[in-house]
Formats: sequence, structure tokens, C-alpha cells
Amino acid sequence: MTIADTAVCRSRPVTPVADAGEINELLRRYGVKFGIYKNGQFKEQLFPFDPIPRIIPAEDFKGIEKGLIQRVDALNRFLYDIYHEKNIINDGIVPENFVYISSGYLPQCEGITPPNKIYSHISGIDLVQGKGKEWYILEDNLRIPSGASYPLIARELTRAASPAAFSGNDIIDNRNYAKLLKETMDFANRGGINAILTPGRYNAAYFEHSYLAELTGAALVQNDELFVEDNVLYQKTYSGGKTKIGALYRRISDEYLDPLTFEPTSLIGIPNLMEAYRSGNVAIINALGNGVADDKGIYYFVPKMIKYYLGEEPILKNAPTYLPFYNEDREYVLKNLEKLVIKDVAEAGGYGVVFGRDLDEKALEDFRQTIIREPRRFIAQEVIDFLDLPILENGGEVMRKADLRAFVLSGEKTKVWASGLTRFSRNPDSFVVNSSQGGGFKDTWVLSR
Amino acid sequence: MKKLQFSFSTKLTFDDYVHDHSFALRFTPVESPAQHITAFGAEISPFASTRNTVDAFGNTVTSGFLQKEHRFLDFEINGIAEIDISKPKTDFMPCYRYQTHFTKPDVALSEFHRFSAEKCSCSDPYGKAMFYSEKISEQIRYEKGVTTIKTTAAEAFGLKAGVCQDYAHILLSMLRMDGIPCRYAAGLACCDGETHGWVEVWDGEKWVGIDPANDRPANEDYLILSQGRDFGDCAIDRGVMFGAYTKQLQLISSKLEEIA
Repeated sequence: MTIADTAVCRSRPVTPVADAGEINELLRRYGVKFGIYKNGQFKEQLFPFDPIPRIIPAEDFKGIEKGLIQRVDALNRFLYDIYHEKNIINDGIVPENFVYISSGYLPQCEGITPPNKIYSHISGIDLVQGKGKEWYILEDNLRIPSGASYPLIARELTRAASPAAFSGNDIIDNRNYAKLLKETMDFANRGGINAILTPGRYNAAYFEHSYLAELTGAALVQNDELFVEDNVLYQKTYSGGKTKIGALYRRISDEYLDPLTFEPTSLIGIPNLMEAYRSGNVAIINALGNGVADDKGIYYFVPKMIKYYLGEEPILKNAPTYLPFYNEDREYVLKNLEKLVIKDVAEAGGYGVVFGRDLDEKALEDFRQTIIREPRRFIAQEVIDFLDLPILENGGEVMRKADLRAFVLSGEKTKVWASGLTRFSRNPDSFVVNSSQGGGFKDTWVLSR
Repeated sequence: MKKLQFSFSTKLTFDDYVHDHSFALRFTPVESPAQHITAFGAEISPFASTRNTVDAFGNTVTSGFLQKEHRFLDFEINGIAEIDISKPKTDFMPCYRYQTHFTKPDVALSEFHRFSAEKCSCSDPYGKAMFYSEKISEQIRYEKGVTTIKTTAAEAFGLKAGVCQDYAHILLSMLRMDGIPCRYAAGLACCDGETHGWVEVWDGEKWVGIDPANDRPANEDYLILSQGRDFGDCAIDRGVMFGAYTKQLQLISSKLEEIA
């Protein structure tokens, strides 16, 4: 194995830690892949690793950490409010139809209180850093955010490949993710074991499901070994008995989770799980119905939520966002479409993102008509001039757009994992960094000093 | 006030043995100011341990699990209800104002709504609902076997035919296009040997019942078993089971009559 002999130091923090080819080969051997469906076919792809770490100085991280905790706490308060008193609607802060038209709002969850009132136990918050080094929130992911396993295993491998880089630098150890996740599950647990529910090996994030189960000691389960009896969730044991499950970290979307409450044709769900959940016999991680808070349209209101619920000024900024739903914003969007980025609120994974500057006159005009017809369907944002990060390509360094998915875990306290998934675009002209769009990732080092 | 004696039973028979059978039943009449249940009995066979919860829409859900092999599932309810529609029901939810998978209109249904709304001289929700119900009856033919339990309002409107569920979905769709909150009611109605579906419209203060399939107000001859945004929230029985069975046969019978 080739090991970079240059010790990484803070004055020149962009040194590769090890040969990317070697690490990528190890990742392949470990089965670190993600699957995507393209043209109806399932394909597993490697998620290319770049050996130059992103480095976040301690001072910088402190600000991000405070801001993320504040944001996730407000989002949890919002979810409780929406499914109970709805004060934020009654007080006119969030328009009613933004909540009820959202496909993530599940009326079946009305009145259900999850353990400790925590809805989003594991939040994946996407940030970007602007040219002026300021951080912006791009998106909240409160349903089943994936990606924590990639920096975990990449760190594991680079540590083995290049121990000097870690002994010579004040890098916060990121292996505590398993501990944070276990604490989060334990705090929510209603009595019984912790389990991670996977739809199976054809899921895009199957590697992650199995890896996290192994690290946290939770059972990795599929629906055919689970059942609900007397409103308690059980796993069948090999000897014909049953084991109670007290916390279910499910990696299946809400609509497929219980065929007796949601999509009746779901073959990956657990019948009557909703009854067990409603009865308080099992914690579901993350809770059902969270989609109403990470809706791209609701994103606009998060800074207002922070003020409303916490009485605080938001520490982290949203990217400047316009809602064509409001007349004033719509006029601005229609006039400035060519310089904005438009996102379809119903899409995820980098799909449904259109940059106005990529459209010709006719396409721009068509898009304007679509926005006029369906104003609630889109949000528009100013294109942030991201800070580019160096990546290695054909032996040389090139600059590419990158974002950061930070993981925030809400148990007894809300904590931010001192690491995260830095994704970059391999295409020099693209701002879209999602793995499903062919991007790569790098390790994220948070310095302790 | 009317005193109604009710009974309802379902016999589900399978071609072959099934096992690991989970079910959720919404067969306990909703208790409300307008509907007071004075006697109620329920029976499930083969014996299954069950639990009751109350869902978001106010329905009692009886859930159970039959792990062992079986070839049938029967359940039966009976009891006595006092129906008094002069007592207001005020349990409101904002989601009743919004379209759902079942009620989302297509172009044809939107056009029909626009056309009907223009002709309607009423501005109050109940008056509109009665007017729309009449218009729907002119357009839709009552016919069994044309639609299924999965048919949406738009599909049924396209077929120009359907059963009570389809009439109800079309009316819900039209009222929601006006921003009027309304909900689906599933239950038993006099002179109907099966289960029935109708609509409740929010008049600004309380729920008022209307039966579009019969184009008449839902009066004290109606017993509500479950309620929700659409049929999907109200299904009286839902189940998931494992086995090699190819077919299931469901026999339903119900009886609702006024007693002294």
C-alpha cells in the first residue's frame, strides 16, 4: 500500500492522506457501494473516494454545531406542533396549505406523541460554504438521511493506510458515531432490543444498514421476520420464540411502512406497526410524518420557526430563497429566472434541480409558464458561489464544488457528529453533488484545536 | 332521535390455508354527540387476541394477528345506537379541506365542477353539497361491478358509473375544489344489505351528513362505523396474510332497523 509520507499539517491542510486508488480498491472489496435504479435496472456503483480531506477548523465547527443544534431542536418542536396544537399555523407564521399540501404530511400521525417528543432522531443537514467562508443551509433531511457510513469507513481505511496523518494532527476521532447512534436508539427505546429495518440488499444504502447494525449491536432485520401481536413489535427467533423490539431504526419510507395504514400493496412493510407505535410500545426512528418539516417549501420557514419556538436568532443562514407561491417572490423569480436555481419540492437526490442559466430562451419561457401554473411546486434560490475544494484527478489537483452533510443526533441531548459526508461534483461545471448523480466523497476532518 | 338496532357480519373464506394473518378492523361505531352507542358486541372467529386503539380520525381500530394456519376469518358486530342529528358534531381537522389520492380531480372533473358551481345559487356549504349531489346523480349511473375499491373520483367520473363509494368521492372532490372541508363516512344505512358510504360536509360549525348515492340528506337512518378523508381511511376491514391461497370470498350481511 502506498502511504503518503508527508504529514498533514494545518498550514497546508490539503495533502492527500493516502493513494486514492488503494483506498477505492479497499472500499470496493469491503462492498462500500450504493445502488441506483437507472432505466429500470438496478446497478451498484462505487462511491468514488477522494484522498484530500476537507478540514474544518475547531472555531468554525463550534459555530456550525451551535447552529445545527438550534435548527434541529426547532424542527422537532415544529413537528410536534404540526401533529398536535398547530400553533405556528394558527399564529399565521406558516400558511396552512404549505403544511397540508405537503406530501410528507401524514394525517394518520395526528395526535401521536413519539417518545420524548423527538421526531427527528437522525437529521442529515446539507450545508455549503460560500466564497466568503460563511456557511449556508441547503436542505434538511429528516426522514432517512443516509451517508454516515462512508466517512466512517473511509476514516477507518485511511487511518490504517496513513497513521502518521492522524497522530500528527489534532483531528477529532469520528468513530464515536456508533456510540451516538446507540445512545439515540437506547434513549428512544420502549423496552426490548434495538433493530435496524432494511428493505434488503437491493436497496441503495444496504451497505450502510448492515454496517451500522454491526457497529451499534442492533439486529439487522427485514419485514418477513417481524410481526405485531397485541400491539407489540416482535422479531421471530430461530427457535420459534419471539423477541420484543423497543426501537426500530427503519430505513424504509413512511408510505411503505405499514400496509394496513399506508400503501396497501407494500411488500416490505410490517402490518399493524402503526398500532404498536400509536400504543407507545415501539419507538420508530425517525418518526413517521417528518417529511412535512423537510419539504423544500417548508425550508423557507425554518428561520421563522427558530424565532417562533426558541425565541432566538438563527445562527446558520438559509440560502436566499423565494417562494413563487407569494406574488412578490413569483414576480422576482419570473424576472430573474436565468440566474436562479429552481427546485421541484417533490423531488430528492439531486433530481428536479434546474439552473436557469442552463436553459435557452424557449425553455426559460416554458418554465415560467410551469411556475405560473404550479407555483406551490417550486422554490427558487440564488446560486451560491460555493467555495471550491481541491480533489485529485489524474495525478493533479483540480477544484470542484462540494457540500457537507452534517449528522445531528437527538437523544437525551441534541449532538452534532464531529465529521460528516463531504460530497463533490466530478463534473467541473456542475453544482449537483449527489451520489446518485455521479459525485464522489471525501473525509471530513474536524480539528480539535 | 331514533333508536337503531344494528348488526353486521363478514365471512372471509380462503381457497387454501393462510397464516401470519394481520388484520385491522374499523367496525366499532363512532361515538359522537349525534351517535350514542348503548349496547355493543363484537366477535371474531377463529379466536384472535386483539387490541383497540383510536386512530387520528377518531375511529376505534381493532387489530389482531393470527399466526396459525386457518381457512376463514369471520367477524360480527351487533348493538343499539341512539341517533340524534340535532346534536352538533364539532371534531374538526384541517386536512379535510384538501384533496387526497382518491379525490384529486382530473381535467374533466374540474370542468364539471366549474360548470356546476356556476349554476349553483347557494353559497353555503350544505346548499352547495346538495346541489352538487343532484348534479352528480344526473351524470353518474348507479351500477355495481364497474368500479373497484381502488377507483378514484376522477376515474369513476370518467366511467359515468359507480357505487356509493364513487358518488361520495366525486362529491368530496367537488367540495374540496371550493375549499369546503368534508369527509367520508362509512357505515350502515337503512334499506341497504351491505356497508354504505356517504359524505359529511363542514358547514362552518359542525358536520352535516349527505348521501350522494341516494341524493338525499343522511338523516337518523345512518350509522357511522368509521370516518376519514376518503375510503382509504375508513376501510372496515384490512388484512395482510401469507399462504398459497388463490382466492378469497367475502360475504357481507348487515341489518339496521328502528326499534321502539
